[in-house]
This record gives sequence, structure tokens and C-alpha cells, in this order.
Amino acid sequence: MDKKIDLSVIITLSESIIYDNIAELYYAYKKSIEETGLIYEFIYVTDRNSPSILDELFKLKENGEEIEIIELAKWFGDAAALNAGFEQSSGKMILTLPGYRQIDEAELPGFINSFKNVDMLIAVRSRKKDNFLHRLQAKLFHSLIRLALGMNFNDLGCIVRIFSRELLEKIYIYGDQHRFLPILANRSGFKIKEYNVAQYYTTMSQRVYSVTHYTNRLVNFISIFFLVKFTKKPLRFFGFPGILIFALGSLLGLFLFVQRTFLGVGLADRPLVLVSILLIVFGIQLFAIGLVAEIIIFTHSRESKEYIIAEIFHAEKENNSKEKEKIEMKESIKT
Amino acid sequence: MDLSVVVPVFNEELSIQPLYDAITKSLRNLNLEYEILLIDDGSSDNTFLNAHNLAVKDPRLKVIKLKRNYGQTIGLHAGFQNASGKIIVTMDGDLQNDPDDIEKMIEEINKGNDIVLGWRYDRQDKMISRKIPSKIANKLISKLTGVPVKDNGCAIRAYRSEIIKKFPLYSEMHRLLPVMTALSGAKFTQIKVKHHARKFGSSKYGLSRIYKVMIDMVALKIIFTFFYLPLYGFGIFAMIFGILCLITLVLGFLQILLYPGTSLVTIMGTSLLLGSLSFFLLFLGIISDLIYQNGDIKIERLLKNRRMNKKIFYSFRRSN
Repeated sequence: MDKKIDLSVIITLSESIIYDNIAELYYAYKKSIEETGLIYEFIYVTDRNSPSILDELFKLKENGEEIEIIELAKWFGDAAALNAGFEQSSGKMILTLPGYRQIDEAELPGFINSFKNVDMLIAVRSRKKDNFLHRLQAKLFHSLIRLALGMNFNDLGCIVRIFSRELLEKIYIYGDQHRFLPILANRSGFKIKEYNVAQYYTTMSQRVYSVTHYTNRLVNFISIFFLVKFTKKPLRFFGFPGILIFALGSLLGLFLFVQRTFLGVGLADRPLVLVSILLIVFGIQLFAIGLVAEIIIFTHSRESKEYIIAEIFHAEKENNSKEKEKIEMKESIKT
Repeated sequence: MDLSVVVPVFNEELSIQPLYDAITKSLRNLNLEYEILLIDDGSSDNTFLNAHNLAVKDPRLKVIKLKRNYGQTIGLHAGFQNASGKIIVTMDGDLQNDPDDIEKMIEEINKGNDIVLGWRYDRQDKMISRKIPSKIANKLISKLTGVPVKDNGCAIRAYRSEIIKKFPLYSEMHRLLPVMTALSGAKFTQIKVKHHARKFGSSKYGLSRIYKVMIDMVALKIIFTFFYLPLYGFGIFAMIFGILCLITLVLGFLQILLYPGTSLVTIMGTSLLLGSLSFFLLFLGIISDLIYQNGDIKIERLLKNRRMNKKIFYSFRRSN
């Protein structure tokens, strides 16, 4: 590519998730991004099983629009699609946009221009015109995150985010973890800010989520929670309940043993014996699983990217000692 | 480069200057080529600025700024990765350690030890909140692991760098480093070091960490004793429960013969549960073996080239 691109816009689309009229949205996005004066590229990621989306995208291309289309063999989730788009992109900044209208696109130039001195900027929709149920559920979700992880985010559901290239190079996301990207970024030490925008609300009230949507979200949340809290020390997580359950079973067993030997109560027809053994077995299993997890972490700890060096400073010996030299570490040191 | 002094600091803007003065003063008379690495662990105060201003004047001082606060272990790890000395000495940034002890530690390394640990025999901290819990923890740890480390919490330590650079360091492993290295066969010794009361700031650790340290220690001990051959380690337990399963099974059959007509649910249920646990552990062992084979850290190789460097000692002499 001959020209240097500032901004890569990545839009992930699939027929399995909601999307609005593609062409209409593309022209709207394009118009507002052009206002910033940046050199940009559009990257659409979709999958083979979404023929109508592909048709529309190719129609755009035939009309002379410079868009990049990436077709995945199968839809592996938002995050996987984002990664595929990212690999293809070359901009210094990455802007992710949803395939349906989440925000009023007139806000975009202001949003992009305020991306300064931070690693990631997240759009936060004002939910004033949303219906009560949606607002409540968003509130609950974000307080859960605040409570469990101690991170303060207000709109993880909004895909409108702009971040530096470096961020996605260092953070690996997969499946449907797209919405949790800010959490993982925060954990790795990236600076994140929020930016208030007006919500685009005409279609909002019609949207009803299915049950699987919520179960998926919950599973994702649990995996992120575990990832953030215990990845490095899994035995702390598994060990405590394991030891507790084992102790409970042993105490019960001791109690039964005392009854049998000193009080002469027979054991043959008592289900409590089975409960005791079951607890002991379960406790050992939990602990053993924790140990296996610990072995995984231990033997692979050299590969894990755990920290990021912001800056190394030292005056070179040969040079004039007053001369400053800054070394920006481009890649995190691998453990 | 003979010596790297690695000091992780977090919000210690007042300590930087005295720390630098103390270290350079202690090392001035030793005929050593050394460097000081200050690792700013995402401080929110002027720590980096103060360190930076010193580093401008002194090329021996290297300042590394981390992106956020990752904790002491990661601070040390960043230091180790960037240290070029043959000996690495670590210290706390709060001036509680005395850099005068570095000389003694280097002498111990020269005697052939891989690791020299500080022992704060005259500790200047609060009795109830700091000293007693740490005493109990140290006792427990040495009982549990069989490694008689008297003071696991003392930050002033000296390592042969080729050894320490190989060890995995993550989470809060720095407290376990002495035990971990000793378990894998490194030769260590402990010397008494001076300990000063805190001058600036307040202590950053609480009581709550004992559970964490203990459970980490248990994990480490198990990994190092059994699980360098994971199938073997899990297999022993699988065998024990398998035998228990057989015993209960035999008892059940005896019951049929001796007391026909009585309920068999309990004894047979117990036997089944133990049998399933036995298989479960066996399969976990197989999985762990796979993981270990494919992992890049092999415990038996951590210290593989330690005898090669027997002769290279780091000679220095005191010059007045």
C-alpha cells in the first residue's frame, strides 16, 4: 500500500447477528469519518454463510468504494472476526464499528478527535431514551463487573471503540469476548477512557434478546472473571473449596466412625456414609484439577505476556552523559 | 558487568535519592563494575521523575518504568530480564535493607553458593501485625517444604544471574523464589543482615496474604516433588484409591457370604466412588503428562548447567 493509513475501520458482520442496511450505514460512517481529515481504510469481516451480506458488500465495491472484504470460512464469533480484520489492517489507530446503528454517526468525528494520550477510547451511549428493561439490565451487568473485578465501565455493550494498534497486538481475544476487550486491556495496564455520545434510538425498543444470548453472556463473564482473577494462581481458586469440601467429608466420616466404634450404631444401611465419601472424593477432585491448572501455568509461564514496559531510561556511557536516550519497548518482554 | 542491583520501587519518591546514595556509597570501595536498576512499578507519584533525574547524571543507573502497578514479582522479573551483571542483588526500595550487606553476600557467592538470602535477625517492624505472622509463616513453610529458610520475606538477596534468569516468575512468586530454587537443587546460604525501621511512607502489605502464600507453597512443593513426572505423581494416588476400592469390594463380598440378606448399598457405593476417583486421578495424570511434555519449562532442566561455571568467580578487592 503506497499511502500511509491513520485509521483502520473494522466492521464485523454476520447473518447470525443483527445488522442494518449495510450500504446506507457505510456511506453514513464514511461521511463522518471524512470530516476528521484522516487517511482511512474500511475493512469488512464476514463469513461464507452470509451470502446476502457478501452480495451487498460486493455491490459497494462495484460502485467504486475502496473497501476490503474478508470472508471467514465459518463464524467463530465477534472477537475472532475482529482479529481477522486486524491482521489485514495497517492503520495506527483501529476503530471498531457495529454493523447496526448504535450511536448517531454525527458524533464520530468528535469521538475520533478526542482519542489522545490514551490507549483506548470507548463510546458510552446515554440511555435516556432506552426502555426500562434495557436500562436495568445494563445497570445490573456493569455493577456486577464493578463488584467482581473492581473495574468501572459504563457501556461494554457499545462496540464503537477506538484504540491503538499496540493494544490488539498484545491482547488475545477469542469467541465472543469482543465486549470484554476493555477489561482485558485494563488488566494489561492500558489506559482507557470513556466518551459520552448520544444514542441512536429508533430501532432500540424493538430488540429482544433470546435466552441463549444471556447464557452466552454469563459464560463469557465467568471465563473473563476467572481469567482476570485467577489465571496465574489457579490453585488458590480450586484449592479453597477443595480443601473445605474434603474437610467436611472427613469430619462427617470421623463422626460416623465414632458412632460405629463407641456407640455401636451400624453403618451398613446409612446413606450418610456415602455422603461422607462423596464429599471426600469431590474435594480431592477439585484440588487435583487445581493442580493440573497450576502445572499448565507453571510449564508455560515463559510464553505468557504478563507485563508491559512503558519506558527504559539510562544515559549511555560512551555518549555525553547529559544526552538523553529513550527506548520505547515495542514488544512486551516475554516471561 | 559484575553486579546488578535490582530495586523495584512503588510510590517511593522520597526514598529514591537516599537509596541511590546508600547503594553507591556501599559499592564505591568495591572494585566492581556494577549497575543499578530501578524498576518503577507504575507509581502515581514522582518516583519516575526523581529516578530519571538521577539517571541523567549517572550512566550506571538504569530506570525501567512499567505500564501499571503489577506487583513486586513482576517488578523483579523486569529487572532480571534487563540485568547484565553476573551477580544480581535484589533489595527493597523502602530503605529497610542496608546496601552495606551486599559485600558479604558477594563473598558468599564467591564461596560457591548459587543464592544468598538475607535474614533479618533483628527486625525493625511492628510485633503483632508483621513479625509474629511472618514468624509463623516461615516456620510453616520450612516444615511444609523441608527447606529451612528462616526469613522468606527478606528482600535483600543475591543470586547468580544465569540461575535466576531461568526460573519462572509470575503472580507473587518472588516470596517463593528461595524455596523454589532450593527445591530444584540450587545451593543456598543465609546471612544475617541489618534491618532499619521505615523512614518514609507506610508498609504496603497486609495480613491477608498468608493463605495465598501457603497455598502457593503447597502447589510448588507438590509440583517439585511429584509432578516432574506427572503421571507418576497422580499415579501413586490413583493406586492408593484403587487399592482402597478393592479392599471395600472384598469387604462387600465378605458381607454377602457372612451376613446374607443385609443391605449392600453403602459398602458397594463406597467402593464405586473410590474406584471412580482412582480412574479420575489416573486420567488427570495422563493429561498432566501431556501438558508437561509440551510445556517449555522442565523442572529437571532448570539448573542443568550449574557446574559448568564452577571456576568463574567474581573477584573484587577492597581498595581504599
